[in-house]
Amino acid sequence: MSWVRAILLARGLSRGWGGICGATLPGAPVSQVPPQTPRGLHCSATAHNSESSIVPVPPKPQRKPVKALSPYEDLFKQAPGMERDKASFLRSLKNFGEHNVHKRGHVDFIYLALRKMREFGVERDLAVYNLLLDVFPKEVFRPRNIFQHIFVHYPRQQECGIAVLEQMENNGVIPDKETEFLLIQIFGRKSYPMLKFLRMKLWLPRFKNINPFPVPRDLPQDPVDLAKLGLRRMEPNMNAKVTVYQMPLSKDWTGALDPTQPHIVGIQSPDQQAALARHNPSRPVFVEGPFSLWLRNKCVYYHILRADLLPPEEQEVEEIPEEWNLYYPMQLDLEYSRSAWDDYEFDIDEVEEGPIFAICMAGAHDQATLAKWIQGLQETNPALAQIPVVFRLAGSTGELLTPSPGLEEPARPPPPEGQEEEDTLQQQQQGQS
Amino acid sequence: MSGCALFLWSAAVARACPPLVAFTGSRRALRTSPPIRAFAKELFLGKIKKKEVFPFPEVSRDELNEINQFVGPVEKFFTEEVDSRKIDQEGKIPEETLEKLKSLGLFGMQVPEEYGGLGLSNTMYARLGEVISLDASIAVTLAAHQAIGLKGIILAGTEEQKAKYLPKLASGEHIAAFCLTEPASGSDAASIRSRAALSEDKKHYVLNGSKVWITNGGVANIFTVFAKTEVADSDGSVKDKITAFIVERDFGGVTSGKPEDKLGIRGSNTCEVHFENTRVPVQNVLGEVGGGFKVAMNILNSGRFSMGSAVAGMLKKLIGSDSEVGSAQGGEALGPRPPAEMTAEYACTRKQFNRNLSEFGLIQEKFALMAQKAYVMESMAYLTAGMLDQPGFPDCSIEAAMVKVFSSEAAWQCVSEALQILGGSGYMRDYPYERMLRDTRILLIFEGTNEILRMFIALTGLQHAGRILTSRINEFKQGRVITVMETIGRRLRDSLGRTVDLGLTGELGLVHPSLADSANKLEENVFYFGRTVETLLLRFGKTIVEEQLVMKRVANILINLYGMTAVLSRASRSVRIGLRNHDHEVLLANIFCVDAYFQNLFSLSQLDKYAPENLDEQIKKVSQQVLEKRTYICAHPLDRTS
Repeated sequence: MSWVRAILLARGLSRGWGGICGATLPGAPVSQVPPQTPRGLHCSATAHNSESSIVPVPPKPQRKPVKALSPYEDLFKQAPGMERDKASFLRSLKNFGEHNVHKRGHVDFIYLALRKMREFGVERDLAVYNLLLDVFPKEVFRPRNIFQHIFVHYPRQQECGIAVLEQMENNGVIPDKETEFLLIQIFGRKSYPMLKFLRMKLWLPRFKNINPFPVPRDLPQDPVDLAKLGLRRMEPNMNAKVTVYQMPLSKDWTGALDPTQPHIVGIQSPDQQAALARHNPSRPVFVEGPFSLWLRNKCVYYHILRADLLPPEEQEVEEIPEEWNLYYPMQLDLEYSRSAWDDYEFDIDEVEEGPIFAICMAGAHDQATLAKWIQGLQETNPALAQIPVVFRLAGSTGELLTPSPGLEEPARPPPPEGQEEEDTLQQQQQGQS
Repeated sequence: MSGCALFLWSAAVARACPPLVAFTGSRRALRTSPPIRAFAKELFLGKIKKKEVFPFPEVSRDELNEINQFVGPVEKFFTEEVDSRKIDQEGKIPEETLEKLKSLGLFGMQVPEEYGGLGLSNTMYARLGEVISLDASIAVTLAAHQAIGLKGIILAGTEEQKAKYLPKLASGEHIAAFCLTEPASGSDAASIRSRAALSEDKKHYVLNGSKVWITNGGVANIFTVFAKTEVADSDGSVKDKITAFIVERDFGGVTSGKPEDKLGIRGSNTCEVHFENTRVPVQNVLGEVGGGFKVAMNILNSGRFSMGSAVAGMLKKLIGSDSEVGSAQGGEALGPRPPAEMTAEYACTRKQFNRNLSEFGLIQEKFALMAQKAYVMESMAYLTAGMLDQPGFPDCSIEAAMVKVFSSEAAWQCVSEALQILGGSGYMRDYPYERMLRDTRILLIFEGTNEILRMFIALTGLQHAGRILTSRINEFKQGRVITVMETIGRRLRDSLGRTVDLGLTGELGLVHPSLADSANKLEENVFYFGRTVETLLLRFGKTIVEEQLVMKRVANILINLYGMTAVLSRASRSVRIGLRNHDHEVLLANIFCVDAYFQNLFSLSQLDKYAPENLDEQIKKVSQQVLEKRTYICAHPLDRTS
């Protein structure tokens, strides 16, 4: 009698929960069940995890590295000459099927295969995931009566299935019809892996293009190309031109770069060029950096060439020339201006910053390298030869630097430990030299 | 040789129009009235200056006879001797055609008689333009020569300059070109790079620079050139200002590039012109030193109105020429039918499903459209010409710009529809339609693009209205109770619906009763347009310059209003004096007025800030997103996420 009440309770709970998660699993069993409740005939041979929860606990092998070799490790061992790629991974899956017709120990094998996927470079391959799910025996874990529906049927296998889906999700792989078909075959329509599948199917496509500034999935290996990509991402003006001021001497891109000639890649837009030409030569410009920029799992560092904001009295007011447009007046000779209720701008307190004239990414962050960049810039910006350039470099390339000093804060805050300040006033009078 | 040509030409003129000279002279002296304020500007205040537009301007019987006597031979020449197809294919107007044009005096139509020109009034110039436009290449060549090329000398030249240059230009011995556009400078005068520096002896300017897209650039002998010169300001500072020069090819250093390969008007000569150390005597400065900007603006503003009649002439030919109508109107024989069959004839002979094309409603609609557009632009053009012919040099630059915008867009639309009537045949080179389509495309672009002219129309009017409304708007902004209450009261009364009466209709009304409904529609539009302009000025003030979408609509409404006024005025006159087929005119006028009325209502509601029709914000956002990426950013319809 007591377990009948328990069943009723569980069904009630599950109904409420099903409503919350979008009625994907009406009447699905909840594992908040006393451990002494009877189990179905097709219970997993392994011990049921008694600490039950809605979210399945991540499988243990993922948490702590197993010291002992798992029994199927040798399936993934390769002949010395063989490469680790999709073909060899698929061969291993096939070997498992041949090696073990009854698919004994498939859960352990799947967990192992999931861990190995990255090594083989197939962690983003939907077909491989589908083949991996195909390792599960079909029809065996499907609940066949109401009690099996209520209680978690074959929990270990379901958790394993969820682990596969979880890894797909983490790698941004969107399941397809075949995945659905396999999951229905293996676990049935009302199972936890299927619930996970439905949610992934709902949300992953919607989030796939959520980033308006997508970073390419595979970043270029060449540091020059990587720098070009990073600079393009930072510069909003599409007219901006990327210039490679110096190619690295060393042919070995990925290895340690030749310290004597690191790469220097810069970007500058025509507007910035014009602004630099207008810059008052009596005011210095600053080379600052390095600042960090993350591109997926890579961090690159950049430097900027900037100037301080002009004091208000020196700012030129842009005036409309009298005889400008041959066809229609460029301004109306009226005393009144736009009304407040047609002012569409939000009332935002904007902190004005000084202009940035150029950005560069270099293989080294020392002054000698950056001076070469400035020399390169002078070819396209002759005005720069007349302007004193101050290098403000922080030695460490670790984390973000303190923000560059603004107007109200002319004194630079004391550099944190481990940073050496190289404030060198370098008068570059190219006209004299 | 040149003397001979001159003689031939003057003989031709004498033969064609003996009393013409005397007549134009006397007509100007006859009318005396105080200087007038232009009609279009008053529309911005919600008023119709009836005196300007009613009655429709007339020419006297004598003048009409003169025009018709002159038009006859010209039309005969154009229909019989000018082979537009050959001109288009060869990209050149044959020498003998040019010679004949010169002998007809068509190179000096608006040059005063004392300098050997025809001294035509604007109305007569417009009438001749109808005929000349039968070949677009010739029309453009002539327009570049006299509407802009030598216009500077007439408008701003000294007596010596006129005496020196105009006779030869009027005879066509010399051809003129107008050199303003540069690679970096279209309508932006500040970016003109050509420079003229005063030589050390102060007797010459040394001119350097390049000009592009100069019509007649390869054949012209006299150039009106705009270049920057250093001018000392009143406070002593030296500034770069634009100066206009008359440059002869013989001054040296003038070279022209090879003729451009164009989409249409292929017979006209367009090329680059380079000036390299050309020495221009100081006597050849046109207007004041540093006053070139005004000269350029005056030339450009004065040349536009004639496009209306020119396009109307072309459209009338496109529908089909009927000599019976022509003879009844003018009393003289017009030229024979053009060689290619025109659209009306085609539609009435081509059979499909045992019915003539002319019996299908969708074909009929196209003819109604062509007739309506031709009627409207004709009315607008001759109304404007009549206004310009009034004494006192009235400023009709807005009206002229409206005529240009309306007629160029109607031309493109109508020629396209005409081509459509012929279907596949129209697309073939055997028929003239594809050439006409190519030729008309330039009308939307040159003499100021239509976008720029819309800005001009709207801004000039808004400036006028803004000045007059200044005190009212200031009071409103300061929150003076009386003004605010008055405005609210007016709004309330307007929104409750009111009948607007600006005095066009009623007993002894200016508009004929058969057009009374249309006249009421015009009055209503004008009234609410005035209110809308006031609201716009209140909302945007001088920053309305930045609101181009708003100004485009203001210009569109104004063009419609002007068109409505013109057709009402013309149709009323036709009914009252009993011209042939005046019932047809009434029909056309009513169609256009109703059409324009609803267009105006729509535009007016779009100008309302909170109207659902107002999509400005969304439009701006879309273009911003597209231009940010510089590409079409939607995913392909076949794309998938999974």
